[in-house]
Amino acid sequence: MPLARSIHDEFVALLGAADVLDDPVRTRTYECDGLTGSRVVPELVLLPRTAEDVAGCVRICARHRIPFVARGAGTGLSGGALPVAEGVVIGLNRLNRVLEVDPENRRAVLEPGVTNLEITAAASPYGLYYAPDPSSQQVCTIGGNVAENSGGAHCLKYGFTTNHVLSMEVVLPDGEVVTLGSDTMEQSGPDLRGVFLGSEGTLGIVTKVTVRLLRTPEVMRTLLADFPSVSAGGRVVSDIVAAGIVPAAVEMMDALAIEAAEGATGAGYSLDTPAALVVELDGTVEECEEQFALVKEICDRHGCTRLHIAGSPEERANIWRGRKAAFAAVGRISPDYIVQDGVVPRTRLAEILERIDEMGTDAGLRVANVFHAGDGNLHPLVLFSAAEGQTEQAEHLSAQIAELCVEMGGSLSGEHGIGTDKACSMPRMFGEDDLAVMRRIRDGFDPDHICNPGKLLPTPRLCGEKPGLYRPHPLEEAGLIERL
Amino acid sequence: MTRAAPTTLRPTSAKEVRDAVLDTPGRLAITGAGTATGWAGRAGDDIAATLDLSALSGVIHHNPGDMTVSVHAGTPVRALQEQLAEHGQRLAFDAARVARGATVGGLLATADAGPSALVWGGLRDLVIGTTSVLADGTMVRSGGHVIKNVAGYDMAKLMHGSYGIFGPLVEVVLRLHPVPKAVACVGVDGPVAEAASRVLELMASPLEPIAVEWVSGDPGRLLVRLEGGAQTLPARVERLCELLGADAREVGADAWDAHTSLTDGPHAGGDGDGPALDGAVVRIGCAPTRLAPLVEQLPATAVTAGLATGVATVTVPGAAVAEVHDAVAAVGGTSVLRDRPETLDAPAWGPAPSALALLRAVKTQLDPEARFAAGRFAPWM
Ligand SMILES: Cc1cc2nc3c(=O)[nH]c(=O)nc-3n(C[C@H](O)[C@H](O)[C@H](O)COP(=O)(O)OP(=O)(O)OC[C@H]3O[C@@H](n4cnc5c(N)ncnc54)[C@H](O)[C@@H]3O)c2cc1C
Ligand SMILES: Cc1cc2nc3c(=O)[nH]c(=O)nc-3n(C[C@H](O)[C@H](O)[C@H](O)COP(=O)(O)OP(=O)(O)OC[C@H]3O[C@@H](n4cnc5c(N)ncnc54)[C@H](O)[C@@H]3O)c2cc1C
Repeated sequence: MPLARSIHDEFVALLGAADVLDDPVRTRTYECDGLTGSRVVPELVLLPRTAEDVAGCVRICARHRIPFVARGAGTGLSGGALPVAEGVVIGLNRLNRVLEVDPENRRAVLEPGVTNLEITAAASPYGLYYAPDPSSQQVCTIGGNVAENSGGAHCLKYGFTTNHVLSMEVVLPDGEVVTLGSDTMEQSGPDLRGVFLGSEGTLGIVTKVTVRLLRTPEVMRTLLADFPSVSAGGRVVSDIVAAGIVPAAVEMMDALAIEAAEGATGAGYSLDTPAALVVELDGTVEECEEQFALVKEICDRHGCTRLHIAGSPEERANIWRGRKAAFAAVGRISPDYIVQDGVVPRTRLAEILERIDEMGTDAGLRVANVFHAGDGNLHPLVLFSAAEGQTEQAEHLSAQIAELCVEMGGSLSGEHGIGTDKACSMPRMFGEDDLAVMRRIRDGFDPDHICNPGKLLPTPRLCGEKPGLYRPHPLEEAGLIERL
Repeated sequence: MTRAAPTTLRPTSAKEVRDAVLDTPGRLAITGAGTATGWAGRAGDDIAATLDLSALSGVIHHNPGDMTVSVHAGTPVRALQEQLAEHGQRLAFDAARVARGATVGGLLATADAGPSALVWGGLRDLVIGTTSVLADGTMVRSGGHVIKNVAGYDMAKLMHGSYGIFGPLVEVVLRLHPVPKAVACVGVDGPVAEAASRVLELMASPLEPIAVEWVSGDPGRLLVRLEGGAQTLPARVERLCELLGADAREVGADAWDAHTSLTDGPHAGGDGDGPALDGAVVRIGCAPTRLAPLVEQLPATAVTAGLATGVATVTVPGAAVAEVHDAVAAVGGTSVLRDRPETLDAPAWGPAPSALALLRAVKTQLDPEARFAAGRFAPWM
């Protein structure tokens, strides 16, 4: 049922007609996020300019029980910002000011629409930076990062968004504005900030974020090393860690991913190697030197065929350019692809990569691998051709891989979130009781279920009759049908 | 304070905890090692039983290659560290009461942390999974054994600082770090304001200290801990001494004992029979640059101040507790009462947070009959 004209008018009275989009051509721009396979055109798109207006919008939604979906840059890869039919999208791009950089306390206060990279840009004149660095950092917003608890290549050493957000101003689903967290790591009472972080927009809308800034390390040293197999690379990672070294980043790419990235960027990767490892160390000059020597020794021990140490900041940037371009570059070697995001304990990397290879062969599809080897976060890219009717096979293989991660003691998602994409797989990872408790938490925040409904937790609408969680059909509850 | 001694239940497995919760009607208290008995609000009187989790102890699974460990919640961190050290690993966590046998569950529930939180954060940043028992007997698990994980709500965070109000933790999964090859500590004497300006310079330098704490005394002393490689640490210590000024010098690890004794209240002797406390211990947190002026203004008899974290532990006369809460709130900080004389009736918390209604709503969802940890958040709830 479309929204009543009077409700539309309420939004216009609050924001002005120019900031309330209802023209289908314009609202269609918001029909999906980075998970482009799922699309829903929202009823209205609201573009507030201030935190007060966000709260005003939410209050109107709460009064009329209209579902709303917050949206940052729409780069989410799990459908978190997918609109809800007969609901509104609240776009936060216009709340994009850096409110304060406080170098002495090493923190910054931001509006939610500030992009990840803009934080570091604002901090760098003071010798500071913001540590979490998703590959999408040029466009994704801190609001989206908070909602997804985003990570990046440097998370092994520096942690995720949740480790860097001190406090947040949040508009709760009833329109009330609260602060979660505080100025320090001290907290009074249960860490609700920590629950909100990574809640994928289902518990409220962030309107202000205070983040920790770190001092830019004295040196950063990056090496690119080739190995005769992905498992040899995996053993290098284990040995580095066993030697007591926590690298700033350890990334691995297999032959297919290298082929794509090198083709797109010419960053200097070897085209004839089965696996390449990017290892970055940072810290004081003394520490880096000592650890770097150890890392080189470990690489040699595992049959490294080529070792290239970035000799200048440009060379270092180049290595990273190749790595960060890998996803998009896969488009060069396949008409279509799905990016999966799962995690396994690091010690099982070699094993799962072999299994993925077999599964790909069985399905008749190629899988490229580029991943955060240090923390076991895989991004298998399932290559396929929609034109040749391989979509369903590819989706199936991709879901199988995610669930295999869980079987191996890992997780369905390391950084892209569950969204609508993997909600139906949640019963693979969590028991019925665990999911029921998560629902209770959500009910505590959002008793009317208007805040980004249908995301993160499995619902019958999303999952149909898929195996896993049992939920009675309404007709069953009414005693009209029976499940046998 | 006299109270009828409640029944004490000592479950030895998660299932027994669940049975105890289901089979014991009424309100339940939760205890670990008993190191934080007086913290936060005064527990209520009408306790049907105390769930003593100290028998729910031991490592469940340590995977050195993945640097993760799962433990029963009643495991003393001290014992855990000993076991991990055999593999060159550690839980990067150094709260003072670890020495007295504080348990993983109790430390997580009280959101306690030590000086190295500057770099590693608190248990909130080190916990990657938990299993808890709710009032209705639901056994709820979240997170897992991998450090990178964004599937579902991060319930472990909810338990951090909960003081047991959502129910007992029974299992905790933690991420580990390597034991450093070398550790050094540099000390420099001086009052807190002087220390604070040195810390500003230190934090702008690339020296990457692990802990930076000022300890009160006459005139007080700034302690800085460095960790690193065996070959390289001496050079960094030298750079650090240069930066801190002519009178800075390397001191032994026992310099931190002064810190422990001031953060660990009356128990610091280690056996729990230390001298009776004649003041109240309050833990405060605020923006780091506000900390030195704040503690200077308090009627404190003993102070440890994390000048780079903004977290301090202060001992003040019991009558001054409310004043401390107000002063901290005035600079936008938070505070909680820790140790105090048995007879002292002082407010445990400062002004209620704006999210109080939300906290109540979550509590009602998980523990609708308020069976757990009554009184911990009085007067807020
Ligand atoms: C090429 C590419 C590379 C990527 N690399 C990484 C990576 O390395 N690491 C990583 O973690 N992710 C990565 N991502 C995923 C994505 O960029 C992140 O999840 C990012 O945090 C999303 O931010 P956004 O502003 O685009 O949010 P959106 O996509 O707009 O929204 C994401 C979710 O956040 C919610 N949300 C947005 N703003 C708010 C707010 N203010 N308050 C409450 N909820 C809000 C939405 O409702 C939605 O559920 C990548 C994506 C792409 C396309
Ligand atoms: C006579 C007597 C009466 C008492 N009455 C009450 C009472 O009415 N209400 C009450 O709450 N306590 C009561 N207690 C318990 C006493 O307060 C405990 O000693 C203390 O609260 C709990 O932990 P701890 O001191 O062992 O320290 P820690 O183990 O350090 O625990 C500190 C905090 O963490 C919580 N905690 C500890 N382990 C866990 C865990 N595994 N999971 C979740 N939370 C955990 C505790 O509840 C406490 O809030 C009573 C104790 C005595 C001796």
